[in-house]
Amino acid sequence: MIRSGFTEARQRLATPLPPNNGLNISKGNQEMITVQHLTKVYQSGRLSFPALQGVSLTISRGEFVAVMGPSGSGKSTFLNILGCLDRPTSGTYYLDDQEVSSLGENELAAVRNRKIGFVFQTFNLLPRLNALRNVELPMIYAGVPPAGRRARARIALARVGLAERAHHRPPELSGGERQRVAIARALVNDPAVILADEPTGNLDSRAGAEVMAIFSELHRRGATIVLVTHEREIAEYAGHILFFRDGRLVGEEIPGNGGPKAEVGGR
Amino acid sequence: MNLLEYLRLAAEGLWMNKLRSFLTILGIIIGIAAVITVVAVGQGGRAVLMAEMEKIGTNLFVIYIDWQEEEPPKERDFTLQDIAVIKELVPEITHLAPTSYQPATVKGPKKKKPAQVIGTAADYASVAKTRVTRGSFLAAGQEGARAVAVLDETLAQEIFGNVDPLGKRVVINDRPALVIGLTKEESGFFGLQTVKNVYVPLGFWQEIFEERAIAQLEGCTVKREDVPQAMAQAVKILERRHQVKDRYKGISLEQQMQVAGKITGIITLIIGAVAGISLLVGGIGVMNIMLVSVTERTREIGVRMALGARRRDILSQFLIEAVVLCLAGGLIGILLGAGGAYLVARLAKWPPLISFGTVLIAFAFSAAVGIFFGLYPANRAARMNPVEALRQE
Repeated sequence: MIRSGFTEARQRLATPLPPNNGLNISKGNQEMITVQHLTKVYQSGRLSFPALQGVSLTISRGEFVAVMGPSGSGKSTFLNILGCLDRPTSGTYYLDDQEVSSLGENELAAVRNRKIGFVFQTFNLLPRLNALRNVELPMIYAGVPPAGRRARARIALARVGLAERAHHRPPELSGGERQRVAIARALVNDPAVILADEPTGNLDSRAGAEVMAIFSELHRRGATIVLVTHEREIAEYAGHILFFRDGRLVGEEIPGNGGPKAEVGGR
Repeated sequence: MNLLEYLRLAAEGLWMNKLRSFLTILGIIIGIAAVITVVAVGQGGRAVLMAEMEKIGTNLFVIYIDWQEEEPPKERDFTLQDIAVIKELVPEITHLAPTSYQPATVKGPKKKKPAQVIGTAADYASVAKTRVTRGSFLAAGQEGARAVAVLDETLAQEIFGNVDPLGKRVVINDRPALVIGLTKEESGFFGLQTVKNVYVPLGFWQEIFEERAIAQLEGCTVKREDVPQAMAQAVKILERRHQVKDRYKGISLEQQMQVAGKITGIITLIIGAVAGISLLVGGIGVMNIMLVSVTERTREIGVRMALGARRRDILSQFLIEAVVLCLAGGLIGILLGAGGAYLVARLAKWPPLISFGTVLIAFAFSAAVGIFFGLYPANRAARMNPVEALRQE
């Protein structure tokens, strides 16, 4: 039952996923995300503000990358473009071997639906729906039939340790629980990449640690994760930290592996 | 995303904001209820009217003097010879009676009562389908001045009390007459007829009221289809015999029915237009609330887009919500309208007629209002930029 819903969702994709792209299967060092000369200019009347000024980088399958930088450094804009919520002004973006920057509105929606799992700082659960139905949402847009949806949502909730809270609405859940529901929602369509924007920003340190433990576990099982944060401690959960400033990638570091690298470029 | 999912979502959303939803659709409810009530009562009334007319007979006609421009009826406008000639020359006309009407006081041994005194002839009983319960109606050839009268049963009861009126004397405006028969009136339109009739020979009527003219001729044919042609022929004969043009007019009961039908149609149309305005206002209310809802749920729209909703999905969601809202209003309106129609009908003593078609139209109309007024807010929701929508507090 679950399997059939799964297959159906995949068949509807504009470009089919490679058959073995599940979270649990890492493909070694292949490229998951490649961006080249990415720029983004916000136009507001006559004023234009360059949020990204030529970012080029590659993120491999199964990598856990943290993006750090002061506010206004362009890290959120970068994440929005990676998440296909926004389009670059120029430059190219390959996600899972697909050139994404040229896609139309509906195709982008499909990419967001199937290849990307978002986790937000403010959780962004729909307050009227219980945890289970919040987790079901991405599958609704993927066209998964109701029974399959329900079953998969339960599994996803169980993975984040919230099986018994399935019928609670977000206001009845703690911050940490809400973020775990949001992670379950991000996982449920079996995405290529999980994008997290300050996922611990609204949590106390204990709940934050719980959430980061889940990300670490997902990474251990092969998920590709890009996480934006301004907290050093959080960034150190990742295997790789990118530093942004003034719309540029200014440095990177492998935590616990010496100081920051000075030089940056296509890897 | 399937329709059922949207419907469930919309219903849940509206149920969450019960009071707001209800107030929003109040305009729709009132509009639809008004339409349903008016149409149901109108159709019921019309059906009763037609049934009554049918009972009286659709093969009836009246020939009268059109004196809007000309002089009022004269003594010799209609003569008894005219009637004889018309009946002779137009075989389709089975009965034709001269009639003149005047109100008068009728006095019996017990009481005095006002009544309508009809001066006529034997044919009248057949034309008006007057049922004689005792004695007999005016006999043929008694158009002269014989002082006899036929009384309505209930009138006789009132003025005679327990005395048997047959063969007794009754006084009509100081003129004594012999009661020769009693009749029972068919209840008039909607049972509203309260005037009691007294029938006397035409000649006697002319003596009582000192009035020589015959007001009109009332007749009937065997078949309804014969009426227009027979009527026209009768008018032509009268014109030839009296050497005048455009003085005699004929009208059939069927024509009157059509006029009545037209009038009720116009009234229904006017009230329908008023209800339509109410629906328009209701629709604007729905649009207003949908716009508020879209603004309030900007964040939700952003989240849905981030999770893979296409613009089309967002559009459908809000459009269906507006339609569900309006259909709910329509449903409540139909129920209220049916209740209203039932109430009015009870007071007016005629059955309400709520046709399936009316209900269907009401539903379709509510849905149309929802689509029309929901489209703009839904489109606004669908065109949001996901990044900005997510940034919204």
